[in-house]
Amino acid sequence: MNITRRQTLAGLASTMLLPALSGTAFAQAANFRIGALNPITGSGAAYGSGMQKMILAAAEVVNAAGGAAGKKLEVFAEDDQSQPQAAVLAAKKLIDVNKVQSILGTWASGVSLAVAPLTNDANIMLMNTSGAPALSVPPANAKGLLFRFQATNDRFGRAFAEVAKKEGFKRPVTMAFNNASGIGNADGFKKAWEAQGGKVYESIVYEPNQPSYRAELQKALAAKPDVIVMGSYLADTTIILREWFQTGETTKFIMPAWAGNPDLVKALGPEVSEGIIAVDSISNEGSEAFKAYDAAYQKAMGQSGLNNVYAAMTWDMVIVLALAMEAAGPNADVPAIAKKMFEVAGPGGKPVATFAEGKEALKSGKIDYQGASSVLDFDKFGDVTPDFSVSVAEKGKIERKYVVKLSA
Amino acid sequence: MDAYLIAIAIITAIYVLMALGLNLQYGLTGLVNFGVVGFFCVGAYTTAILSQKGVPQYITFPLAALLAMAFAWPLGLVSIRLREDYFAIVSLGFSEVVRLVATSEGWLTQGVQGIPGIPKMFGTFSGTTQALAVLGLLVVFNLVAIAAMLRIVRSPFGRMIEAIRDNEEAVKALGKDPAGFKIQVLVLGSALTGLAGAAYAHYIGFISPEQFIPLITFQIWMAIIMGGVGRISGALVGAIILMVFLEGSRFLRDVMPFISEVAMASVRLGVVGLALVLFTMYRPQGLMGDFTRK
Repeated sequence: MNITRRQTLAGLASTMLLPALSGTAFAQAANFRIGALNPITGSGAAYGSGMQKMILAAAEVVNAAGGAAGKKLEVFAEDDQSQPQAAVLAAKKLIDVNKVQSILGTWASGVSLAVAPLTNDANIMLMNTSGAPALSVPPANAKGLLFRFQATNDRFGRAFAEVAKKEGFKRPVTMAFNNASGIGNADGFKKAWEAQGGKVYESIVYEPNQPSYRAELQKALAAKPDVIVMGSYLADTTIILREWFQTGETTKFIMPAWAGNPDLVKALGPEVSEGIIAVDSISNEGSEAFKAYDAAYQKAMGQSGLNNVYAAMTWDMVIVLALAMEAAGPNADVPAIAKKMFEVAGPGGKPVATFAEGKEALKSGKIDYQGASSVLDFDKFGDVTPDFSVSVAEKGKIERKYVVKLSA
Repeated sequence: MDAYLIAIAIITAIYVLMALGLNLQYGLTGLVNFGVVGFFCVGAYTTAILSQKGVPQYITFPLAALLAMAFAWPLGLVSIRLREDYFAIVSLGFSEVVRLVATSEGWLTQGVQGIPGIPKMFGTFSGTTQALAVLGLLVVFNLVAIAAMLRIVRSPFGRMIEAIRDNEEAVKALGKDPAGFKIQVLVLGSALTGLAGAAYAHYIGFISPEQFIPLITFQIWMAIIMGGVGRISGALVGAIILMVFLEGSRFLRDVMPFISEVAMASVRLGVVGLALVLFTMYRPQGLMGDFTRK
């Protein structure tokens, strides 16, 4: 191709015009940049894209309401591959290249633990949905910039212990899937149960992806338990319960709701699943915030928001962050915004459910954002203590029976 | 931007170290080692566990390399006399065993919870200075490894292992015992991999068994296949290409925002796979491959 002088001139001129045309080049200085670091691939893939889309959707909502503290939110999305090494590189990119001021939505505990030192060094916030207890305290949470929107494994364990006590069980046994979350649940239960003066008669840890868990189950049943507390997932729970039914024992089961859900009941049928107790941290389902989230999730993913509790958490992350920015004022730095996180979500203010509502109410006083994922009251470790729902399977349906509240 | 580039360079340097080890084993000697990540894991856990007990890093690094060598020795004894494809299976099994031990022996490795808060290298510095110091150390490791490798290639030992790779039967017929040489090569290469593991653990600061999956092994294999098997420059170039593929695709999205992150994740793997296929079809000797050889 021959380039004429005229074309060259036109090209040069248009290059010089470009910055003028794209208003963003100037507006960017006033934007608040968020990194969405989610498990798009890897073990968290089932949740990751929903989580990321909800960060984008919530940022849109905030921007549509005029932004927070006079700033628009700008989202930079990355995949952490559910792997610490990939997450570290992605986080470095977000911090150094995109200059984000907060990273939202890490899921695997390993990822959060690996990214936390980087966000601490950069003095920015890290909001996660991981369960590991190590994230509450230094070195991970050395600067109070970590916020966890998910109940810790410990709290799940405590909820299990409350339920076991309430149901009058005497001889519990635990069976845990060998990963940080499964073992965390079982250990949390053991700790809470023994604190109540109870005794755990056997603790079994099993390797994932087996065709049969008969050996582990026999070992558990040999302790003559009246209840087996599970730290498990759907696939393994299905097999374990089938094999348990074949033994003819009358043991009961308490399990987290990501294992004891309608899919499990459907797979097992009414006879086997009768009486299963499933415990879950409650998405704040009745709330206005949940309705807003649910509508956004339906639009983005074409299914009910109930299917992805983590997406409700990432939705809340953006809204709380925006409210904290609004409360902290236009010139606040990130640590100052982090301090406001406790305030805008904590108890004692006017309850609000959306960003627009909160922004308005902030003009006249304190607010208390009631989130889609939980009521979101952060304790001093930046952890939430959601309520737990207890559901029981009866005649092929699993339905909520009552709610357990933990003291923070 | 600088800090991010340095971070990529550090990870690349760690990969290069492993690629050099594998190049010695497969490229020069023809040992099909599918257990690279096992030695990587041993190195990482050695230094992580010792550091938790307060042992200084100038001791834990050599120990990480030594322990990786110590693991390679019996593996070599047991399986080196097998035909090469059987060795591949045994080494793959070995790396899975290492991972399962790390998962199950909680008293030692903290099991699935992983070991958080592994101290940084050069912790007295901070920011860019610290990152550059880490990179500098890794470059020194790599240069020493490359220098050693060049010496090996030109020595009688080097000619012997290349002869084993090219025709093991002929070597036997000449009255030499290939097994002993193979074990030495396996142990030497594993030292580099163990060292890489140690650097990785201190750089990332958190290790857990799920990080040591066979994918790492195959990434190293991709690197040396793309770079050129049997060439020292190949290990270097291959690791860099791999990193450019894996990390470069992040920036592709900044240019093409219409591709969603979900699609991009798949595209990334697809592109690496396509590159591998194209390499084997059109340039089986790799980018830095030697035209004069077969």
